[in-house]
Amino acid sequence: MATTTAAVTLTSTDLLTDSLSLSATNTLYKAGTTTGLDQTTGITKAYLTATTQVDIFPTLIEGSIAYKGKSSWVYICNESTDETEYAIIKVSGNVIGKLYAGDFLWMPWSMAEDGDTDNKHADIQLTPSVDTGMWFSWCMINEGTEYPTSV
Amino acid sequence: MAVTAAITLSSAADDLTTDALALSTSCTLTKAGISTALSNTSGLARKTTASASQYTLFDGDAYGNGAHKIYLKNTETSAALYFTIEINSEQMGKLYAGDWAFFPWEANADTNDIKIQPSTSASHTLEYMLIYE
Repeated sequence: MATTTAAVTLTSTDLLTDSLSLSATNTLYKAGTTTGLDQTTGITKAYLTATTQVDIFPTLIEGSIAYKGKSSWVYICNESTDETEYAIIKVSGNVIGKLYAGDFLWMPWSMAEDGDTDNKHADIQLTPSVDTGMWFSWCMINEGTEYPTSV
Repeated sequence: MAVTAAITLSSAADDLTTDALALSTSCTLTKAGISTALSNTSGLARKTTASASQYTLFDGDAYGNGAHKIYLKNTETSAALYFTIEINSEQMGKLYAGDWAFFPWEANADTNDIKIQPSTSASHTLEYMLIYE
């Protein structure tokens, strides 16, 4: 069984009167079990030179088993160093937030088909704010992804 | 003023992959497009649910557009218990027992709420914190 852990720390000496020193660690399991997630896309490093919205993970198959209660974790980092540069992150066309330079996210991903009847799939979409070139890295650790048949 | 967030993803060699996974990243949380630190927070809070209904954790109308950051943790220990996380009426994912998440939140519309729904009507506890502009 693969054992993968994710740990976070949030720290500040001056956000509050008291120091903030929050830590959390978890092992990544398949949905509802204590069996470790055993699939990964690996860590992608990408240099995007357009402000076009892109899907960062493989196209999902209609009715895929991935929709049926699987567990997937997504890491995305905006590696830009220009504080004004950001990427808009969406799930199924709905904005989650903007990752500014240096920011990262770590989130679960249900791959749920869109609930807003706008015919979007469960894609995670990333849109760079500039076309002058931005570096990103991303990774998925998961179970149950089905890949489309090639044509 | 500064708030730092750091993440480490790790797995031993010949486990998830042949090579060991040891990814670490940290960032200072700043306001949108500038280097000024985020300076407001909800504080670290806990919510214990008592039904399987959906709950609004944060109301998009109350915060407005910005480089807000959200931390969530399911404090349960039974593997099957989870919270479904919904943003802007779209399901993001499920936080199973012990899982945590950290992600940006733009709150770019009144409807861009963050909602949680426990998997059962039994007592479920979620720990959460918002750091915002």
